[in-house]
Amino acid sequence: MFQLGNHPIDPAPLRRELAADDCGGFVFFEGRVRDHHEGRTVTGLHYEAYRELAEKEGRRLVREIALKHGVRAAAIHATGDLTPGDLAVWVGAAAAHREEAFAACRELIDAIKARVPIWKRESYVGGSSGWVEGCACAARHGEGR
Amino acid sequence: MSNVLHGLLLAGGKSSRMGCDKASMVLGDGGLTQAGRALGLLRQFCGTVYLSLREGQPVPAGGEGVPVLRDAPGAQGPLSGILAAFHQAPGAAWLVLACDLPLVRPGVLARLAARYAEDPSSPFVAYASALDGLPEPLCAIYGPSAFPVLARHAARGHFCPRHILLEESVPLLALPEADTGALTNVNTPQDVAGARTGAREVRVTWFGHLAEQRGLREESVATKEETVGDFRREMSDLHRLDLDPGVVRVAVNDEFAFDGHRLQAGDRVVFLSPFAGG
Repeated sequence: MFQLGNHPIDPAPLRRELAADDCGGFVFFEGRVRDHHEGRTVTGLHYEAYRELAEKEGRRLVREIALKHGVRAAAIHATGDLTPGDLAVWVGAAAAHREEAFAACRELIDAIKARVPIWKRESYVGGSSGWVEGCACAARHGEGR
Repeated sequence: MSNVLHGLLLAGGKSSRMGCDKASMVLGDGGLTQAGRALGLLRQFCGTVYLSLREGQPVPAGGEGVPVLRDAPGAQGPLSGILAAFHQAPGAAWLVLACDLPLVRPGVLARLAARYAEDPSSPFVAYASALDGLPEPLCAIYGPSAFPVLARHAARGHFCPRHILLEESVPLLALPEADTGALTNVNTPQDVAGARTGAREVRVTWFGHLAEQRGLREESVATKEETVGDFRREMSDLHRLDLDPGVVRVAVNDEFAFDGHRLQAGDRVVFLSPFAGG
């Protein structure tokens, strides 16, 4: 399960869906808007997504990683204008034991950052703003697909 | 008994999107206008060829000396031109061709004529659109038995020839293999550019900092490049954008695509700068 949602996003339904009785370990990660970046004070973030492809690729990632680690997994990413402290992304993995849940959660958040077409523009104190440079390894990451 | 086949070139469209008269436009073909080229095609199959024009419309360049039929009252659009033809010669079959179909070649009309000759009692001989399978009424033969059918629809306020052919459950021909794009019409100067050069029209969407650098989010681009990689270089040179294949990926129709992927007309292309979610 992968969702894109306009800010604010609510992970509670995904969390309920993942928390099955046969899962003894449940790890989730919350990515929140930080109030600083490379020494500058951040006042807000704008997330823009290529929705059609982001949803497709996000669903593929979740399925891939859930299968690889034998876990139940889900994620939701926010779009729109966020301010420091807001929830930008939520990733959860539930498994019988904690090792798989930790590993899957970690791998899923890394993969979402690298492979899902979402971009962000930061606004700084003083009114300036700029697109945050993504990781170019994403281009190479996709070569094997 | 076989009916005589007359030709009717429909040139009465208003061309408001074109900003000028489509029929008078030259698209190559040795300097012939669209009207001149289409009249030449019709003459290969028809003894007499007429030019269908609106009331008061001047004769387009290339149509000089051709007998003119003015739209019949009581109908609208191309149907009024076709009805005017039957008022002129009710016993004739009419090979009707719109003047904005620059890709029609003789073989396309030859197949219509051959099919009509097999059964001259057919009211309609028409192609199915290669795009949506619907009837193509503006490159078709209307036999004499079509006249009362068309008149009946017009009297009920049905003026759309495509709907009429649909309602009459007309059996449709497939376009010749080499001419499946023949009935692509041109409505905009960009279409004309595409028809003239063999370019294909793709839709490009921009996101993130590339949208900011390009200064727009969406555009229609006529390109002669055949692959994603060549189109990437073209757009990069044209707009001075950094679309380095080691950094910027490409999506076609909402799926990641390799540089070797071949572009089709109508594709949606998106250049993807490195992602920064999370």
